Amino acid sequence: MSRTLLSHCCTWAAVAATLGVAATVLVPCQAAEPLTAKQLRRQRQQQRQGTGLPEAVTTAPPATIMAVAPLDRGSRPAVQRAAAEIDRLLAASWQERGVKASPRLHDAQFLRRIYLELGGRIPSYDEARRFLASKVRTRRADLIDDLLESPDYVSHFYNYWADVLRLQERPQKKLIFEPYLWYVKHAIATNLPYDTWVHAMLAADGGLWENPAVGFQLRDEGMPLPYVDNTVRVFLGTQIGCAQCHDHPFDDWTQHQFYELAAFLSGTRMRANSSGRVNAVGKVRPGDGERNLLMEARQQLRKPIAFARFVQANTTAVSFHERPLKLPHDYQYKDAEPLSVVSPHVLWGEVPSAARDADRREQFASWLTAPDNRQFARTIANRMWKKVMGVGLVEPVDDFQPGNPPSHPELLEHLTDEMLRLDFDLREFVRILVSTDTYQRRAVVHDPASGTPFRFTGPALRRMTAEQLWDSILTLVARNQWAAQRPTAADIAEAASIDVDKITFDAAYDQFEAFLADYAPSRRMRQLQQTVGYRGQLLVRASELPAPLPLGHFLRQFGQSDREAIEGSRTVATVPQILAMFNGPITHSMLEKGSVISDNVSAHLPREAVDVIFLSVLTHPPSVEDRRLAHEEVLTAETPAAGLGNVVWALLNTREFIFIQ
Amino acid sequence: MFEHAAHDNPISRRLMIGRMARAALGVTVVDALADPLASAQAATAPKTGDVSVIFLMMRGAMSHLDTFDPKPGREEQGETKAIQTKTPGVLFGEHLPKLAGMADRLAVLRGMTTETGAHEQGTYLMRTSYTQLNSIVHPSMGSWTLHVKGKQSRDLPGYVLVGNGNEHPGAGFLDASLTPVPIADPKLGLENTRLPAYLSERQFQRRLSLADRIDRDFRQRYAGPQIAAYDQMYKDATRLLGSVDLQAFDISKEPEAVRGRYGETTFGQGCLLARRLVESGVRCVEVEFNKWDMHQDIFEDLPEHVGTLDTAMAALLDDLAASGLLANTLVVLATEFGRTPKINQNAGRDHHPAVFSCVLAGAGIQGGVVHGSSDERGFHPDDDAVTVADFNTTIAVAAGLPHEQEFSAPNGRPFKIGGGGTPIRKVLVEGRL
Repeated sequence: MSRTLLSHCCTWAAVAATLGVAATVLVPCQAAEPLTAKQLRRQRQQQRQGTGLPEAVTTAPPATIMAVAPLDRGSRPAVQRAAAEIDRLLAASWQERGVKASPRLHDAQFLRRIYLELGGRIPSYDEARRFLASKVRTRRADLIDDLLESPDYVSHFYNYWADVLRLQERPQKKLIFEPYLWYVKHAIATNLPYDTWVHAMLAADGGLWENPAVGFQLRDEGMPLPYVDNTVRVFLGTQIGCAQCHDHPFDDWTQHQFYELAAFLSGTRMRANSSGRVNAVGKVRPGDGERNLLMEARQQLRKPIAFARFVQANTTAVSFHERPLKLPHDYQYKDAEPLSVVSPHVLWGEVPSAARDADRREQFASWLTAPDNRQFARTIANRMWKKVMGVGLVEPVDDFQPGNPPSHPELLEHLTDEMLRLDFDLREFVRILVSTDTYQRRAVVHDPASGTPFRFTGPALRRMTAEQLWDSILTLVARNQWAAQRPTAADIAEAASIDVDKITFDAAYDQFEAFLADYAPSRRMRQLQQTVGYRGQLLVRASELPAPLPLGHFLRQFGQSDREAIEGSRTVATVPQILAMFNGPITHSMLEKGSVISDNVSAHLPREAVDVIFLSVLTHPPSVEDRRLAHEEVLTAETPAAGLGNVVWALLNTREFIFIQ
Repeated sequence: MFEHAAHDNPISRRLMIGRMARAALGVTVVDALADPLASAQAATAPKTGDVSVIFLMMRGAMSHLDTFDPKPGREEQGETKAIQTKTPGVLFGEHLPKLAGMADRLAVLRGMTTETGAHEQGTYLMRTSYTQLNSIVHPSMGSWTLHVKGKQSRDLPGYVLVGNGNEHPGAGFLDASLTPVPIADPKLGLENTRLPAYLSERQFQRRLSLADRIDRDFRQRYAGPQIAAYDQMYKDATRLLGSVDLQAFDISKEPEAVRGRYGETTFGQGCLLARRLVESGVRCVEVEFNKWDMHQDIFEDLPEHVGTLDTAMAALLDDLAASGLLANTLVVLATEFGRTPKINQNAGRDHHPAVFSCVLAGAGIQGGVVHGSSDERGFHPDDDAVTVADFNTTIAVAAGLPHEQEFSAPNGRPFKIGGGGTPIRKVLVEGRL
């Protein structure tokens, strides 16, 4: 098609129509041999009749996606003062080191960064246009506040905590964990103070239906010592795990200290019900109701195991009944005898006086989360600093020890003070960090292997997390990104809860089957495929997808955690990632008719369409040179629509798209 | 509208693609058909003396008592019985009948010992020979091997990991091109390698070239190891597209009976994929088997998972031996640590770094040998304790890597392949050391 023809005859509607057709053809070809013309025609026909994008994602999102706690807009001056103080501390350290601040971000760069930072996705075309057109002096602060009140914020921080807390839907086959996953999301949505939240999880009693906070303790069910290790690592940034087996090789922790801390939690039971009995070694035996159900199941069912697990899920409950803890039989140090009883002692400081008469687990929870326990505040301050700036003041964030001092000790103590001043309001803390002048500077390349400490002259250059990438692509595709959400604790309780002491076998079995129909992970996947499925992918937010995802999923390819290791996610480059960006279904989804970007492009004249694509994908208008290149592509491609498709594809396959500058 | 590319003259098209790609990426691309001889060469077996490595990594920590170091008659042995092997006087666990029948090919190290009982750190140590640090990532043994020996195939990667790449140290401080290519599911192989039917190679190159030009400023501004790693992966991925050697990743090309012999398990099919890849000139393949963390009801799970290992590894060794490749292929069976001889109150075994077992076979390895032993209950090494560094240094020797040479990391610190351990003479064929 010649230039003249395009400018004179070709209306955009026609181009858009061809784009639609072009898009439906974008299917990875399965056949190894080149297709005959006839085969090709048939294939095209099939593809045109194919499902395309599911209707649920191309329609408007629900009016309310989820309730998010409102932010105190009145505290903005205080936020800005607090941000300025952090900038002052950093500026002093730059001067001392003779380094210069990174250049300030333009509005467009800030816009992209802040959406990814707080909302976990790039801004949509409309959101970008609106912000960049704004002349309001407070537009950056306004946007920060708006984002912190959005479902995007909840979704993104849920992904963060899901990585830290190893959130899975079935950590064991007998544990139905959706209520706990919802609880974590809910704690973020309601902005529950962090110390309250952690205390609730560490001291929670009961079953998952009525008190989903017990999930934290149940995650390590059957592994009481690793539980102590994991808890201290996550919340106190301290690794005492080595001391489970022997004195820590290069830290001060002894095996005896490990056991002294574990002694607080000895007697935490994970199975209990009204009629359950406890045997001599403290193991809970099933009660009569449970035993009867299981006996009938064995008689009546060919494969009773799944039903038995469902019953067990109902009798799984956390309770605490203090029991003495003994040292291991092969304890090798002189300070105590093997198998001697250990008395509980905290690692540092003391149990707060208010909790001294409480049970030992409560003492542990109170000590760990107390304001006096500065390490608790310091750890979360450093975590949130890293979340925002890309590098912790202590790295890794869970290895505080004398041999690993903070890069900026004064700043870290100041941030700890701030965390305490804010009474562990994490959202307010993050609001302060992103309001700093330092945060709103261009990213700085950091190479940890170089041995040079990071100076925080701006945030570190980072690749998007797998979830940020997924949700960003979803932003280009789905008008409704919330067509499915994870079930609430109430949903699950209603579907799964049975009273094992009262229910008949038949009634229990019926409920088991009904539960499976709605919530068995495989069946739920199948249901979701029907509503939000597109070529094997579920087009909903990463936070709402099954967990963990299979290893071959786009999110896993880009480094999402298996949710077995604490903070197991990675952002390392691999070949399959690139192949997925080249040819995968997710890349193609945005070229489908009805995708957000396709609709936005269709609504514009060809000359403007290139600008729409740049703003949609990279959140800025093209440079003069880039616009020329893109126009040339559109005009010289086989059709303008194909050329526009090529521009979209090209922008997705830039480093600029996957890295956050 | 896209089909007209198919009418292009293929020769001129290839020439143009080559020019475009070189201009855009500094790489030679794409169409393996352009040079059928080159790709046929790449698909033949590696040269004699040119060692490949297959590393079978038992994630979660393999129980030594239930596999290669049984203690019949002891309370600690639990329900796993011991069976005779082809090597007189050497017993294996009962779920390893096939490997027991080829014990004359295996060198078993029963005195392995390490200090860490944490999965992540233990696995890292086993893969790199160095303790995990905050400041630097050490290269895995596979990346060292590739670094020293180089690739054998033009288009195929030099190093493939069948499993989860997240916890893998990969190339560490070495060049990103030495990073293993992770394969999530051996049955699916390497996905998304075929361009859509409508998209000609020429259009594909147009797209790449456009992306490259638009992205130039960004890449310059943020130049550094992260961007460089992605640049490298784009080059590698582009080189792979359209290569006929990609068939190496497709285990459906194997006869049904062959696939069956490896077992219809992910690990079994992973071993089959490893064999195909090594046959096609991939230098190193690691296959993960992540089922070993048996804290509860271990005797319920052992028959299945040990059986999976037995079937898969035996088929792999058989096939490599039959084709003669075993002489040039080092097969390593490793794990992060052992499991407690004492059975816990949940009828499981917990983490036990003090002593565990690993196995070597193939290139450079003396079969029918047991080196070291654990004490009568399997708690500690009795004699000839072998550290992870000793083990990896032995691998380096068997693979013909310079284990005494010092390499410098970017921070100036010196490192040795294998971690500067002492190679174990007894398990190496004469003249290797």
